[in-house]
Amino acid sequence: MKISRRNVLLGATAAAALGPIASRADTPEVAIGVIYPLSGSSAQIGVDAQKAFETAAEIINKDYDFKLPLAKGEGLPELGGAKVKLVFADHQADPQKGRAETERLITQEKVCAVVGTYQSAVAVTVSQTCERYQIPFLSADNSSPSLHRRGLKYYFRASPHDEMFSKAMFDFFDARRKKGQKIETLSLFHEDTIFGTDSANAQTKLANERGYKIVSDIKYRANSPSLTAEVQQLKAADADVLMPSSYTTDAILLVKTMAELGYKPKNIMAQDAGFSEKALYDAVGDKLEGVISRGSFSLDLAEKRPMVGLINQMYKAKSGKDFNDYTSRQFMGLILMAEAINRAKSTDGDKIREAMVATDMPGDVTIMPWKRVKYDEMGQNNDADPVLLQYLSGKFVTIAPEDVAVSEAIWPMPSK
Amino acid sequence: MTAETIIQSLASGLLMGLLYGLIAVGLALIFGLMDVVNFAHGEFLMSAMYATFFLFAFFSLDPLLSAPLVAAALFIFGALVYLFVVRFAVRAKANTGMVQIFSTFGLAIMMRGLAQFFFTPDYRSISHSWLGGKTISVAGIFLPEPQLVGALVAIAAFIGLYFFIHRTDFGRALEATREDAGAVALVGIDKNRVFALGWGLGAGLVGLAGAIMAVFFYIYPDVGASFALIAYVTVALGGFGSVFGAFAGGIIVGLVEATTAMILPPSLKSVGVYAVYLLVVFIRPRGLFGSM
Repeated sequence: MKISRRNVLLGATAAAALGPIASRADTPEVAIGVIYPLSGSSAQIGVDAQKAFETAAEIINKDYDFKLPLAKGEGLPELGGAKVKLVFADHQADPQKGRAETERLITQEKVCAVVGTYQSAVAVTVSQTCERYQIPFLSADNSSPSLHRRGLKYYFRASPHDEMFSKAMFDFFDARRKKGQKIETLSLFHEDTIFGTDSANAQTKLANERGYKIVSDIKYRANSPSLTAEVQQLKAADADVLMPSSYTTDAILLVKTMAELGYKPKNIMAQDAGFSEKALYDAVGDKLEGVISRGSFSLDLAEKRPMVGLINQMYKAKSGKDFNDYTSRQFMGLILMAEAINRAKSTDGDKIREAMVATDMPGDVTIMPWKRVKYDEMGQNNDADPVLLQYLSGKFVTIAPEDVAVSEAIWPMPSK
Repeated sequence: MTAETIIQSLASGLLMGLLYGLIAVGLALIFGLMDVVNFAHGEFLMSAMYATFFLFAFFSLDPLLSAPLVAAALFIFGALVYLFVVRFAVRAKANTGMVQIFSTFGLAIMMRGLAQFFFTPDYRSISHSWLGGKTISVAGIFLPEPQLVGALVAIAAFIGLYFFIHRTDFGRALEATREDAGAVALVGIDKNRVFALGWGLGAGLVGLAGAIMAVFFYIYPDVGASFALIAYVTVALGGFGSVFGAFAGGIIVGLVEATTAMILPPSLKSVGVYAVYLLVVFIRPRGLFGSM
């Protein structure tokens, strides 16, 4: 046979196409898509998340003696010890990029499941795309309550949402009131995407039901170059509690601007996000003594569950930071997804979905203060209790709910 | 709404506006000189903020002291950008406009990427400085010192720039090159030297703004983007190429933004700015002080 240039090309193409399949057979791998903002205005979140997922993958793929699913032994035992392979994608905090990247993860990278996304606004498009391809999506750290109420069959979330979080805040207010402390008025300060809006809606509803007056409700544009006008309105209202729902950049600017305009809120009860990021406390921690943020994770747990401290050390070695509310949930996100894939004994989207639906994991084999992980018909886990954390002398301590609290809340916030 | 709130809003708007002007003037200068829009302007600002931050972090140099150093460093950087990037881009034989846009746009993306790679995307800020967090209160009106000093520096820079352009030989060469780059070559002025000086000056001014902003703003690789957008609006509003226009445009943007936030919900506060911008584009497309 004469070897023509065309034949060589054809042969090369065929070899290239077969290559990945051949190598897949040698070392079985399960590709899981991980979609986060790796560049753009919240790149810091994505880069930290990457380290959290890598820590989780390391624990799954190597042998560790933790009381955590898949830690013992290497890889996924039900899939012949297949290793978990993370395929990272960058959505730049943009819902449209999130859609396109998810599409690429599924059709080109052939991932069998997707975990994401930090911004709830991006989770909307990512989960819709996964639904279309019948690939399970796990919200590791999105908190908008509307996400699981869209009738999606492939959507799952193990951690609490902002209605549960906000309820914890108002339970805390009610408890203070019973003790005779005055909490009458609230100021809401929230960014203008689905995270801030959903959070403010939940808080407004609870305030009306339980008899708190919202004296100022400020919706602002995320990543504003200046928040002076916004802070002036907060200052004029001077509510008993300021309740921000802000990502890191805006949280830093908010605290700086409040100081510049001579406004010291009586109390701050934050909807997490920027308020659990180290960057905020590095920048303006001195102005935040006594701030309370909701969360779903606390390093306090390490005292009761030593593996929390050990896994945190592994993460810290990679990132130079302690686990926070986000990175801990991202870590758990991969463990939960991989555990379901292992039980499904397959990388087929429907089979993994069935395994996710059947999940019933006791809380003490996780690194979170959850009771257990069991998704309801909408894919939401309702057995995850939110906690409230107070920032005191440079670290967060759990102050509510009472059964996990390690110290009494300082209320009102110390005024310096 | 009390009189106090209104005065406070206008005062804050004015201070911010002067800073916007200082950020924008470099853009206006470069455009006026050679009809090139520097799409990496926001990244110049970002580099200046990082430079200020690192001088603070490693040498405990207060931003007020490091501001001239940062401005000088940015001056050199700007001149180098002209000599090694823009000089070649404007020589393109075909599609000159596109080549110019993509060269500075590409530079912007590269600078952002490098910053993220080397400095990590962590949000930095200067925790304590002479001005940081301090504020002057006059009859219930709060004037944050960093913005106040920033505004004064901006005014001083504009006065300095005015005298430089109108009273020095180099400034006159700058003006002449801007009028007719071909003709100045005939009288023995090196066009490249003047352009490099223009780029240096433009970058130096945004460097000055960056050093001051580092006191009260957070620093991360993408920080330039939102300010660059305002700078483009400011320049278009004030008139492309007009240094005084950038000054006036900045003040207008700052005041309009503050006023809009008093009337509309704060999430819509940039609506006012863009409405004024559209109005100017419709009525006077060359901008308020443009002279095309």
